[in-house]
Amino acid sequence: MCSFSGRLVAWMDRELPDNEAADAERHVRDCSECRTRVDTYKQVSRVFVAHCDAVMEATTHRRPRWVPVLASAAAAAMLFLVFQPASVKQIRVLPPVADASPAIILETAPKPVKTVHRRRGSAPAKTPNANWVLPETAIQIAIPVEAMFPPGAVPEGITFIADVSMAADGSVQGLRLQP
Amino acid sequence: MSGDSLPLPLPLARFAADSCEATTLYRELRKPLLRYLVCLGLSADEAQDVVQDAFVSLHRHLASGGSQENIRSWLFRVAHNGARNRQNSYDRRFGKPLNPQLDLIAYEATPEQVVLAKEKFRRLGKAILLLTESERECLLLRAGGLRYREIAEVLGIPTSTVSDTVDRAIKKLAEKCNV
Repeated sequence: MCSFSGRLVAWMDRELPDNEAADAERHVRDCSECRTRVDTYKQVSRVFVAHCDAVMEATTHRRPRWVPVLASAAAAAMLFLVFQPASVKQIRVLPPVADASPAIILETAPKPVKTVHRRRGSAPAKTPNANWVLPETAIQIAIPVEAMFPPGAVPEGITFIADVSMAADGSVQGLRLQP
Repeated sequence: MSGDSLPLPLPLARFAADSCEATTLYRELRKPLLRYLVCLGLSADEAQDVVQDAFVSLHRHLASGGSQENIRSWLFRVAHNGARNRQNSYDRRFGKPLNPQLDLIAYEATPEQVVLAKEKFRRLGKAILLLTESERECLLLRAGGLRYREIAEVLGIPTSTVSDTVDRAIKKLAEKCNV
């Protein structure tokens, strides 16, 4: 095996310093063994990447999901969404799928209350009043626009912050947009 | 802070600065990460979740002043571990969903080209299933655009092992597919 073969990949990754890269290029031109290796490497890589793309296409070829975004939204009493390019009109705030039991009254609820499990991070102490509001932010999430909207729905270069207030049961109380 | 926009609480201001970096990374790496996870055998939904989690971790990492060096391999490592944690059937699905959907990749090709491509992909899919788990992971990370030393970081193995593993995998695939 050609002694140069160990450095071929470094060369393909453009990790060699300039002078060594020039050497490598010359070497690959002259050494048929290394040239074959590089060609095979590139061809297999190309086919493999195409295969991966096809698997990806076949697996993910459907509409974007809203549920996890909303589920995590329900986890927070107040939520900031930072969209990268986005337009105001496109915002859809769907009510969470969830187990909405608006009034959690301690004396009457022998069943386990699911909403408690959905809260992450520093969960505030439970109060019998379902309409309490957290004093300050709980979670901030940045969601690039392509995760939320179909491609092309939103012009490039627009950024805004959606400030969503949520009730304890996960329903949306208010939505305010800031440019 | 000036009067026309609402004053941001300090964490959000900090977050906004971090989010530039994070948004760039998200745009650049979301798709490669998804592809990696889907090709590992995760469902589209699982892959989306793992990627979301990885970027949430990234926010935390950056917000807490974590190192920005090797952030690409950092993200892949987080995603890789996330996949490991939720996956029982690790490689069952890779290569399987291809056959009916192949038209997606070759819609501009002539019928003969499509037939040839399908045949090639079928053989490649079979050959990929015959690779060892680490060979497959190395190739997939390579297809995700990582360098050898980055792959080594993700998988926690020496760079020389990565190099040998990729070489072996390429050789196997080249033999099986007559590339």
